[in-house]
Amino acid sequence: MTTQAWLLVAGAAVAAAGIVVSAVPRGLRSGLALQAFGVALIGVAGGLVVVGRAGVGSEFGNGLGPTVGIDPLSGFFIAAIAIVSTPALIYAGGYLSRSHNAPAIAAISGVFVLALIGVVIARDAVTFLMMWELMSVAPAVAILLASRSAETSRAVLVYLGSTHLAGVGVWLSILTLAHLGALTDPHALAAQPTLVRSLLAVAALVGFGTKAGLMPLHSWLPRAHPAAPAHVSAVMSGMMIKVALYGLVRMLFFWLAPLPDWVAPVLLGAAALSCVAGVLYALMQHELKRLLAFHSVENVGIIALGLAAALLAAAAGQRPLAALAFAAAMLHTLNHALFKSVLFLCAGSFQKQVGKLDLDHLGGLLRTMPLTGTAFLAGSMAIAGVPPFNGFVSEWLTLQALVQLALHGAPTDTAMGALAAAVLAATAALAVFCFVKVVGLVLLGAHRQKAVASSHEVPVSMTGPVIFLAGLCLGIGVVPGVVLGPIGHMSPYGPLPASLVGVTLAAPGSGAFAPLALAAVIAVCTAGLQLARRQAGTTAPSPMWICGQVPDSRLAWTSAGFTKSLRLVLAVVLRPRRTVSIELDGALVHSVVHESEVPHLFDEVLFRPALGRVLAASRILRRTQSGSLRAYLTYLLVTLAVVLAVVRVGLS
Amino acid sequence: MRGSILAVAVQLAGLVMAPLLPGLIQTIKARLQGRRGTSPLQPYRELRRLWHKRSVAPLDTTFMYRMAPSVSAAALVGALLVVPIGASTIGWFGSDMLVLVGLLALARFATAAAAWDPGGGFSLMGAGRDLMFSVFTEPLLLLALVLVAAGARSTDLIRMVAAASDAHVASLPAHWCAALAFGLVVLVETGRQPIDNPDTHLELTMVHEGPLLEYAGRDLAMLQWTSAARHWLVLMLAAGLFVPLPQTAPWNILALAAAVATLCAFIGVIESSLAKMRILRVPALLGAGVATCMIGLASWIAQGAT
Repeated sequence: MTTQAWLLVAGAAVAAAGIVVSAVPRGLRSGLALQAFGVALIGVAGGLVVVGRAGVGSEFGNGLGPTVGIDPLSGFFIAAIAIVSTPALIYAGGYLSRSHNAPAIAAISGVFVLALIGVVIARDAVTFLMMWELMSVAPAVAILLASRSAETSRAVLVYLGSTHLAGVGVWLSILTLAHLGALTDPHALAAQPTLVRSLLAVAALVGFGTKAGLMPLHSWLPRAHPAAPAHVSAVMSGMMIKVALYGLVRMLFFWLAPLPDWVAPVLLGAAALSCVAGVLYALMQHELKRLLAFHSVENVGIIALGLAAALLAAAAGQRPLAALAFAAAMLHTLNHALFKSVLFLCAGSFQKQVGKLDLDHLGGLLRTMPLTGTAFLAGSMAIAGVPPFNGFVSEWLTLQALVQLALHGAPTDTAMGALAAAVLAATAALAVFCFVKVVGLVLLGAHRQKAVASSHEVPVSMTGPVIFLAGLCLGIGVVPGVVLGPIGHMSPYGPLPASLVGVTLAAPGSGAFAPLALAAVIAVCTAGLQLARRQAGTTAPSPMWICGQVPDSRLAWTSAGFTKSLRLVLAVVLRPRRTVSIELDGALVHSVVHESEVPHLFDEVLFRPALGRVLAASRILRRTQSGSLRAYLTYLLVTLAVVLAVVRVGLS
Repeated sequence: MRGSILAVAVQLAGLVMAPLLPGLIQTIKARLQGRRGTSPLQPYRELRRLWHKRSVAPLDTTFMYRMAPSVSAAALVGALLVVPIGASTIGWFGSDMLVLVGLLALARFATAAAAWDPGGGFSLMGAGRDLMFSVFTEPLLLLALVLVAAGARSTDLIRMVAAASDAHVASLPAHWCAALAFGLVVLVETGRQPIDNPDTHLELTMVHEGPLLEYAGRDLAMLQWTSAARHWLVLMLAAGLFVPLPQTAPWNILALAAAVATLCAFIGVIESSLAKMRILRVPALLGAGVATCMIGLASWIAQGAT
């Protein structure tokens, strides 16, 4: 066996031992540490496969026997899972202590991470689907273990429902591919009619797209992610939806060949919708974790934009551009996993200290929790896509891919590329808007609640992981070439040009971008100006001026207030609701109640009517289940008669 | 370094010369309105005055508040080093048009987030409006740049400037659409009428001045320089991308200076003749810009197809 294989087996064994240890009393921290160590070992195995470009274990097979193996694409996802999960599991050691059902949640977290890895290393249809189901069920169990409120139960129900609907697509596409022998032979589908390939593509897009949270199939995501414990949210949002994208990449880039022409434009459309609508709804949220969940929809959209651009470029025969777009998508996959887990883990720390995460009742956490706060700020800047953080690099590459597609493609490609690039630019601006709001309401300003004023920094086991992840966000933002080089190894379009993996990202047709030099200039200028500022000195700390008003916490700006201008401008699309009821006591105003909300239109227009129909139909069906023995005997008799009749007449 | 030494020297000098542009616009405006006005050097005098004053750090503010002016100024320094002058640049970190978008976003993030620290109503109103505009400006800027890049077949600003100095771009409808759209971007980024009124300080309608209200001393000086640098950035880009300039060394700089001065005069005329729009109407104006870009894109595609 090779080193990688040994690492994989040893890591799985250590992680499994960790799961057992964490479930016994007093074993929580050591168990989670063991799990983290095991996952890290598996991650190293994955990383070695990517760097060494040599797979281990089996290749894909169409059979039913359980087989596993790692190729560079799987290796990349394993490494990403490990980079996110290892800190998340260590964090869980601090986060779960003294919380309800801690041992069970700790054990199920380990199972969840191993299931994610299992999906990625599966090399046959049965293992893949088994791990897929385990991956889907594990977080539901963790959510229910953590909280049993009616709202949580409903979120879990919606989650499981959409997961199973998605499962249909995944099962159909994977089993059909295995049946046709397409898991091993890339030419197996060429003989099939276009209709078969189109149906397979629909099944894959619906199945994997739902799990990835692509709009308009995302409805479960903003409900399930906020309900989970922080570290499970981090892994769900960081990696589970990415594992669904892994499935989509396997399908669209490797197995479903030749791909029907409509797939890439449809994916581009869904991606553009996810980007801009995801971030727009995120902006209108007033609860931190729900807001972060909507941002996952946005970022999956950005990744899918890159994937769609790669498909379009490849269809136009521009393989270098396709490789660039694919690399952009993969880099953003890793980047989003990093900064989203920073944000979710920090949100968990805030919740632990403050209780609820209602944005209007936090404030000033940067002063009471400086380490967690700074990590949260770094994560926010990364997700907002501002240099010198990693989010900017992958968004730059994705924009570059789309614009180059527009500049060099056929007329339809030009239109699609330019429009998608404009949508991505609007998305980036909205993300900046959203995270200015989040940073302001969570970290800055005065404390808006007593619990916030008395909060203090969480222990090292909870700050260490987020600082590590935030450091990676900055590191990849400054030297992305380190990650881009290995990413080129797994591209279906061949390696990236050498100009793109160095210190300077000289994408063909671009004006080049040197993130390291840019970060250095920004850092030097900032430091110099700060020194100059210090030299002049500052006046003694004084209350703020705000144009001579007396500061009053009741006049503090809210999340809804800050975004009001945009809500008014986009009222046609967002359709905000607002009710003001004034209670008059004679001529005196007794009380004014103001309520406003931005309804989630996808739920209201798309899903609620559909769900209503389904429930109505099931009510009719329920009448057949009367519970009376005679009725069931009648069903049996009728079935028997029908079967006998069929046998007598013959089917064909 | 790419291109001529003289042009790169001008690029670096831009860091110092940037405050000239708002001063020039102010002077032109005053003359148009029949006043004598201030000298174009007035912004320097203000910067000097502020530089000798101490900064103010209100109670309950964090390092975000103290760092924001330096970070925005640093982002604009980076942006000025990206924008080529007469197809030349110092090129420390490339000359890509998409990097500019990121650097402007960094400056905006820093100032807008810092407005939350003191948390005053005027600051946050201004910050929220500025961010709301940016949601429409960024796609507009990108589409305008893409239309110019389409002519150069590259997103490299140097090639785009070189391609724009070719006379044949004047016959492309896409180029004219891009110029119109970019004009709107110039007005938004510089905070000029009809988008924002730079002459007001302390009014309910202010946008860009809002987040600056609490700052004083060197902090305010940095923020004022940042605003001036934003003028320099967009006007240099506008002159480079939409005015056909000669290619040879000393003449291109002189022509560029003349073009920028003309653009300043143009802004002065617009400021003197237009009233400020209602804030909620601004997105419609920017939307019209996006529609213009769409027409340009359609014309580009149609020309490419024939």
